[in-house]
Amino acid sequence: MRDGRTNRIVLAILVLLSITLVIIDLRGSSSGPTAAIRSAGAAVLAPLERVSGSIFGPLLSLGDSLGSLGEKDQQIADLTAENARLRADLDLVANEKARVAELDSLLGLVGNNGYVTVPAQVIAVGPAQGFAWTVTIDAGTRDGVEPQMSVISGAGLVGRTISVTPTTATVLLIVDATSSVGARLAGTSQIGIVSGSGRQDALQMQLLDPLAVVDVGDIVVSFGSEADRPYAPGIPIGTVLEMRGTEGQLTRSALIQPYVDVSRLDIVGVVLRVDERAPREPLPMPTPTPTTDDSVLSPQTDDSVIPEESAAPDETAVP
Amino acid sequence: MVIRRILLCAVLLLLAVVLEVTLLAPLPFPGATPPLVLVTVAALSFAFGPNTGAVCGFIGGLLLDTAPPAAGTLGITALLLTLVGYLLGRLGDPNDRPLFLSVGGTAAAGGLVVLGAAILGGLLGNPRIQWGDVPVMVITAALYAAFLAVLLVPLIQRLSRRLVPEAFAR
Repeated sequence: MRDGRTNRIVLAILVLLSITLVIIDLRGSSSGPTAAIRSAGAAVLAPLERVSGSIFGPLLSLGDSLGSLGEKDQQIADLTAENARLRADLDLVANEKARVAELDSLLGLVGNNGYVTVPAQVIAVGPAQGFAWTVTIDAGTRDGVEPQMSVISGAGLVGRTISVTPTTATVLLIVDATSSVGARLAGTSQIGIVSGSGRQDALQMQLLDPLAVVDVGDIVVSFGSEADRPYAPGIPIGTVLEMRGTEGQLTRSALIQPYVDVSRLDIVGVVLRVDERAPREPLPMPTPTPTTDDSVLSPQTDDSVIPEESAAPDETAVP
Repeated sequence: MVIRRILLCAVLLLLAVVLEVTLLAPLPFPGATPPLVLVTVAALSFAFGPNTGAVCGFIGGLLLDTAPPAAGTLGITALLLTLVGYLLGRLGDPNDRPLFLSVGGTAAAGGLVVLGAAILGGLLGNPRIQWGDVPVMVITAALYAAFLAVLLVPLIQRLSRRLVPEAFAR
């Protein structure tokens, strides 16, 4: 029974090795030996995934569009109705826009949708049984992508990069249970934190102001982080689906319907930087940071700036 | 030659990992993603016995733990697949193992690995586990594993016999 004994020794060694890896990784996964193993594994597998992704990517998108053929009629009807409604809204907005343009020129602003992005395709997805909402895209450090950058799609915020290899990057999607994004209700000064629920169709938003007035359908946009990392400002996240908790309760939360359908991601854009706009010299403000959040952060700013803020998400939606 | 066995295992495992994350995971399968790596480990373990099975399970699990976009704790899949490789290699008579036994064993392993990963993750404080979804994941993973095993276990068995005949000489 020598054979059986060697088997058991091999098994014991491998089990101990695995458990050691788990323990080391739990103590600090961003540095140390497990980080080295991770990057070694990624270095081997990333090029293979790129090749495989470039073969299967087009097939998967084709299958996706074939699968949704039946929905197209409904979609056209919906879009026609929406178009009519939007055209009516546009007439109302025209007047508002003229006023905003005037204010913009007054403040010496340039457009704030100056996201400089690099396009990328989703090539790999984490297995569903891991419960992690992460994807791999085919852009890496060679394309200027670094960890902690916003990832957007035509519809809105997708997530942020968490790790990169020379040719690929891993994106933590906003619906992941460990993701949280500083956010703001567009057009108001209500801020909060949008965190993933681990499910693809819902996000939670913790509002900082317990007395906030929130309506169903309000648009939530990213608040923006320092130096635009990890999240650039003004990226649309989703709309308010329902409010939880009563007014005045210590923390109130809203259920947010994300704009981006993470199960059908194809082409995304990584925000490399946000082009700075001209400083607001005419205003006597103490060194304003060049982000869109000025009007929210600085109480002395005139309220009339806010329409500019609410107009932002519609324009920034285009990558 | 041992080197041929190692090459065969390495190529099959790499292929399985890459196909699992780039082809199977993006497809909208209900519930779990078909556990191609687990089935490959099971098939190699049926072909070469518990020793090779455990090593293949460890390597396959480690590859799955590090393959981008993996974000879980390193080593959990390696631990579970090591056990799968060892235990399935000891299942039944290696020279005369009926297909239903291999398929049944692989399906059970597929379900148990998902359950084990969820329990281990929960114990280690992984905030991502959706307990409400775990039963569906376990059942679908077992079903997909069974389906893949029907295709892959005989295929890899034949491939092993052709490429590494000396492992079956005794």
